Amino acid sequence: MMPTLESRKHPNPVWRFFCSVRLTITLLIILALVSIVGTLIPQREASIAFARNLSPAALKIFFFLDLFNIYHAIWFRLLIGILALNLIICSINRFPGIWKRFNATPRPDRQKPFEDLPGELTFMVRGERATVAKDVEHAFRKKYRRVRDKASKDAYYMYGERGRLTHFGFYLIHLSILIILMGAIVGSIFGFEAYVNIVEGGEAGIVSSTNDMDRIPLGFTVRCDHFSVDFYDNGTPKEYRSDLTFLEKGKALMKASVLVNHPAHFRGITFYQADYGTVVGDRVRLKIIKTTSKAETSLLEVKKGDPTSLPGGDGTFEVADIQGDFMNMGPAVLIRVLPAPGQETSFWVFRDHEEIEKRYPGITQKFIKLNPSAFKPYTFILQSLDTRYYTGLQVAKDPGVPLVWTGCFLMVGGFFVTFFMSHRRVWVRITSEKKGVRISLAGNASKNPVGLERELVHLSRSLEQGLNEKEREA
Amino acid sequence: MSSFILSYITFVYFGAFFFYLLMMVMGKGIFGKIATTICVLGLAGHALAIVLRWIESYRLGIGHAPFSNLYESLIFFSFTIILLYLIVEWRTKNRTLGTFVTPLASLAMAYASFSPNISSRIQPLVPALKSNWLITHVITCFFGYAAFGISFALSIMYLLKRFDRGGKKGIFLRLIPGTLILDDLNYQMVVIGFLMLTLGIITGSVWAHSAWGSYWSWDPKETWSLITWLIYAAVLHSRLVRGWRGRKIAILCMIGFSCVLFTYFGVNYLAGLHSYGKS
Repeated sequence: MMPTLESRKHPNPVWRFFCSVRLTITLLIILALVSIVGTLIPQREASIAFARNLSPAALKIFFFLDLFNIYHAIWFRLLIGILALNLIICSINRFPGIWKRFNATPRPDRQKPFEDLPGELTFMVRGERATVAKDVEHAFRKKYRRVRDKASKDAYYMYGERGRLTHFGFYLIHLSILIILMGAIVGSIFGFEAYVNIVEGGEAGIVSSTNDMDRIPLGFTVRCDHFSVDFYDNGTPKEYRSDLTFLEKGKALMKASVLVNHPAHFRGITFYQADYGTVVGDRVRLKIIKTTSKAETSLLEVKKGDPTSLPGGDGTFEVADIQGDFMNMGPAVLIRVLPAPGQETSFWVFRDHEEIEKRYPGITQKFIKLNPSAFKPYTFILQSLDTRYYTGLQVAKDPGVPLVWTGCFLMVGGFFVTFFMSHRRVWVRITSEKKGVRISLAGNASKNPVGLERELVHLSRSLEQGLNEKEREA
Repeated sequence: MSSFILSYITFVYFGAFFFYLLMMVMGKGIFGKIATTICVLGLAGHALAIVLRWIESYRLGIGHAPFSNLYESLIFFSFTIILLYLIVEWRTKNRTLGTFVTPLASLAMAYASFSPNISSRIQPLVPALKSNWLITHVITCFFGYAAFGISFALSIMYLLKRFDRGGKKGIFLRLIPGTLILDDLNYQMVVIGFLMLTLGIITGSVWAHSAWGSYWSWDPKETWSLITWLIYAAVLHSRLVRGWRGRKIAILCMIGFSCVLFTYFGVNYLAGLHSYGKS
């Protein structure tokens, strides 16, 4: 590929602008630089902390240029669009030149390729020129296409070639990039990326979009039957697993286990294991001690919001709230007591009461709201509460994915054709000499001339051997 | 056991470097042959140690290919560099490249073995790495990195040779092949690296598609590999279509390799999904 190809001037200046490879190189480097900026400025969710330290003026510029979301900014897409246009126009612009080389049919009796021929590529055999020529042609046709010959008074010529389609190799690469970009566009228009948290035993039919928190109905529901997390002996996580059931109108249609690296697919939507956590259930076990004349202890299991009578019959109470981690001091419940006569009182009871007392001595005495003995003469102790896992699923639909994989496949194929295959053109000249018949081979290649030379040396040796054997047999 | 052998491989490659250098300074072929022998032996020990580490992980009950953290990746990086270099040496019959490549391999080994921040312990695989794509992804990426590393060494050689066009500083540079050969070899390395990087990005995105739910999420490592890809795409276009040769290409290749290094190490200082290679 010579630089002359490009210099053919086109009358339209816009066309000229878009068909220049200088533009391609500039765009590639600009895209690289912009991408670097995008990795240095925190993007999307991560940008919030960074943005706080910026002055209002700087913030305005950042927002104007979409610098917190560079890769999805209009101008970034515009750059990619220009690159795509550049690629299409370059490809069209090049077509006539490539077509010419693809279709070129050089004369079989060209002499130029035979100038400065290395000794390895010419040899003598015994026999008649016509029969030798026939044998050579037979072997030649097996290896090369579009074989044409020409006989003159004192020489016989042959031309053949291989791999002329490789001139179009870079079209495969360019096409593959366009297909990948198309896949990305299809994905961003018709697909979505969302997440949903489902508590064990619970189900969900609506997921939240990752980009704009939109609620997306799935058209079916997903139930999480079971979630488990396994650890190695050293405490690092080994496996996260969610057992899911997909239902429609209450009917279970499919069951699947989702693990990291093993998503589940249902109706074109894919579910990935992304996150997990625990939530508290609505039942707690309480120990209530009444410290009057003699201590009276009762154990109760209470459901959130259910009024329960106090063990001594002095009124009722209820568990008004349950928190998995209240004020960073662990699980706690809010107890609301309604005495038979008197004012309503409410206070928090921690499960890890003793530890908290150790860490912050006197804290529960100081704040009445945190005192488990706030309603005299009772002391509440939170023994345990139900916790359940929830699984965090990433939910995605991307109809562009097959296009992207097709593009990737084509690209790799295109690389092999463009970089490792070449258009090889070979000439053979057969002349009569005093001692016998001289056969000479020559050729040229669009790439890798060393490879062609190796091929020709190999060909000449096998021809020589074959012809000599035939001669001996005769 | 394996990490013990590997820490010694550092010195083996350094020894090879010493003899390659001696060959260039003294202009005697025998030192080159010694250096190559050391390199081949080092590579054999290196391969053995990697296999041993693989077996050890199975003995610990957490069997996995030794490609799972920074230590293991550095070891493999160094391995691919030497392997690829020896292939180039065998094909080109020239040993001077060894002087510029063995320090890279030795440095990578030294960093892996002696940096206090890098643990050589065999650790179990986190769930995200449990995939058949781990081996393919790592192998393609690191052969790409290695090819770019060799291209970097060739670029340095090219520039050295260019600045000494009269051949005055004879002794040291005399054995280095001519600039045309260096330029052509550099191009071939960029082609191999580019193909491998492309395969690495593709296998990575197929993997990400099943592990993270998206084939491309602009994670810093992904983005930096794309940046590297764009730079080398620019190198190939400027050479194949614009006809650039020599100095400009050598400089672009050096910029390209610094992007490779940032993709490999620098990204660890940015937050992202791809945090397995941090320590």
